[in-house]
Amino acid sequence: MDIIVCSLATFYIYKGIMNRTLVIGFGNLDRADDGVAYYVINALRRRLGQKILSEEMTGLEGLGGEIDSIFLSQLVPELMDVLTDYDQVIFVDAHVYENVDNLHCTPVTQDYTPPTFSHNITPPMLLAFLKKLYHREPNGYLVSIRGYDFDFHRNLSVDTKALVEPAVEYIQSRLLSDNAH
Amino acid sequence: MNARKITIEPVTRIEGHGRVTVHLNEEGKVEQTFFHVDEFRGLEKFCEGRPYFEMTQITQRICGICPVSHHLASAKACDGVARLEPPRPAKLLRELLHMGQYVQSHGMHFFHLAAPDLVLGFDADPAIRNVFGIIAANPELALKAVNLRRYGQQIIERLGGKRVHPNFAVPGGVNSPLNQKDRDEILAELDTMVGIAKVAVSIGKDWIGSNMELVKSFATFPSSYMGLVDMEGGLQLYDGEIRVMDAEGNIAAQFRTDHYLSYVAEHVESWSFLKFPYLRKLGWPNGTYRVGPLGRLNVADKIGTPLANEEFKLFKQINSGKPVEGSLFYHYARLIELVYALERIAQLLDDPDILSTDIRAYPSSTKLAGQGVGVVEAPRGTLFHDYATDENGQLTRVNLIVATGNNNWAMHTASGLVAKAFVDGNKLTEGMLNRVEAAIRCYDPCLSCATHAIGKMPLEITLIAADGKVLDRISR
Repeated sequence: MDIIVCSLATFYIYKGIMNRTLVIGFGNLDRADDGVAYYVINALRRRLGQKILSEEMTGLEGLGGEIDSIFLSQLVPELMDVLTDYDQVIFVDAHVYENVDNLHCTPVTQDYTPPTFSHNITPPMLLAFLKKLYHREPNGYLVSIRGYDFDFHRNLSVDTKALVEPAVEYIQSRLLSDNAH
Repeated sequence: MNARKITIEPVTRIEGHGRVTVHLNEEGKVEQTFFHVDEFRGLEKFCEGRPYFEMTQITQRICGICPVSHHLASAKACDGVARLEPPRPAKLLRELLHMGQYVQSHGMHFFHLAAPDLVLGFDADPAIRNVFGIIAANPELALKAVNLRRYGQQIIERLGGKRVHPNFAVPGGVNSPLNQKDRDEILAELDTMVGIAKVAVSIGKDWIGSNMELVKSFATFPSSYMGLVDMEGGLQLYDGEIRVMDAEGNIAAQFRTDHYLSYVAEHVESWSFLKFPYLRKLGWPNGTYRVGPLGRLNVADKIGTPLANEEFKLFKQINSGKPVEGSLFYHYARLIELVYALERIAQLLDDPDILSTDIRAYPSSTKLAGQGVGVVEAPRGTLFHDYATDENGQLTRVNLIVATGNNNWAMHTASGLVAKAFVDGNKLTEGMLNRVEAAIRCYDPCLSCATHAIGKMPLEITLIAADGKVLDRISR
């Protein structure tokens, strides 16, 4: 699968028809499954032959490719500066909802709901800010992975760990489908 | 009519989870108000047994908003434990990191949290009375705010490797020097950022000028004030002595930071997990004080940078040199400090020592002092870290008095005064309750820090009848 994606990406870049995609993982590595996006980002980077992010790295320092990926503790307003350069954004996060699929993949549409916590910016809010302030409307997708353990350590629970590779598969299929036009 | 109780929960546009209950009498008038903080406090206890040098990393996990303050207060406490005096360049670099946080924190508070009330109005539709409303009303201003926050965060990242939970200050100094390229890049944008700060000051002053009657009466009450000052009485944010000024403007105490326990005590109330610090010699509740921007500017005699000092002189004229009491003046004081932080960044970057590689002191002996106190002025106020260790450097006691905790009594008092002035239980409006929240927002509280909370962070107003029945609740 990864070889196919790399080959197709090269082809599409060569043809000049590839959308630039940024994959943004976010969460707290210190809180077990809340940091699952870090593992997803690195699994994706491994498949794409990109440098693995250490726990101290965000990936922001190495942007410029057709498919870039970063991992952050939280979404922040200044990310808008980065997002203006992309056609597609895929957010990766953990979720805690029993009534939602363990691997929940869905388009993200712009929406602004007043935050209960001032520092809490959601993917729909970030895209809404981007449209209002920068007049940019990249396609947005959310890959949300069920977390079970949010204790103070840096290991994933068995059930969440099992969702990492399927999440990467989904992201890769998203990359292929959006560029196979 | 029965007496009633109003609960505002969560209180919005603050950091953390809080709750306000407004008790009404039988005529529907406000009888009493409580500001509750319901988060769990436990960090001090679970740090016991850890090696002291881990604390610079552990304690900044208390909060994703003000990790730098905890990081630096902890490093200073660790300096004390290890008997280390950081070299001057290390102190400059720590202060530079601190100023980066001030710029992002004060900038975000004004544009993101305070401006919706000030620019759009207390009674504006809550659906637009938020940062998105600011964007719609003035997108250029919103872009400036984002830019200012980004600038502050980038300073933290350049020094500490990442924007949240940096790895920079260590016992005895810092772990990496500043390079010329980063210095030049920070300097290159400085004038633009000072320009943005001036715009913010202008907006704040215009609003105050247009609403002077409200500003002078809104949550205005006498108290003592606390803040760090240098040896000449000038504003200090990283180092210095603690000065406490009484309500009349007299210096009630000035002391070394490591002597704080001789001066500061904490009171406990059954209805909040957050303690109430007070000045020991004045007792509870006469010794309650306020910290943060208003506290710092009230206790200071001057500011060591030109633009901020000019604004400071105007600030001091507000109450003819006596302490400024109105809670809404916190916004003005915060903006003056924003200007100061940017000007201070210029001073620090121009210092010949700023690029030095002499950035860390190492111990000459393995014998530890066994105790260390670190105090900085966090954006929200005076922050105390106090550690005791055994001979192996394992922590035996940890005491944290956090900026927001110092303002606990003030927020309780401010919300009560505003409730009495604006809330009418017979004709309840959202705007009335928003004013109660706005009184708390003046103090920019970070309740997750104050209680060292683990877990969820949401904050709530409740309307309670004389018979105890809950009649209304706002929970956004």
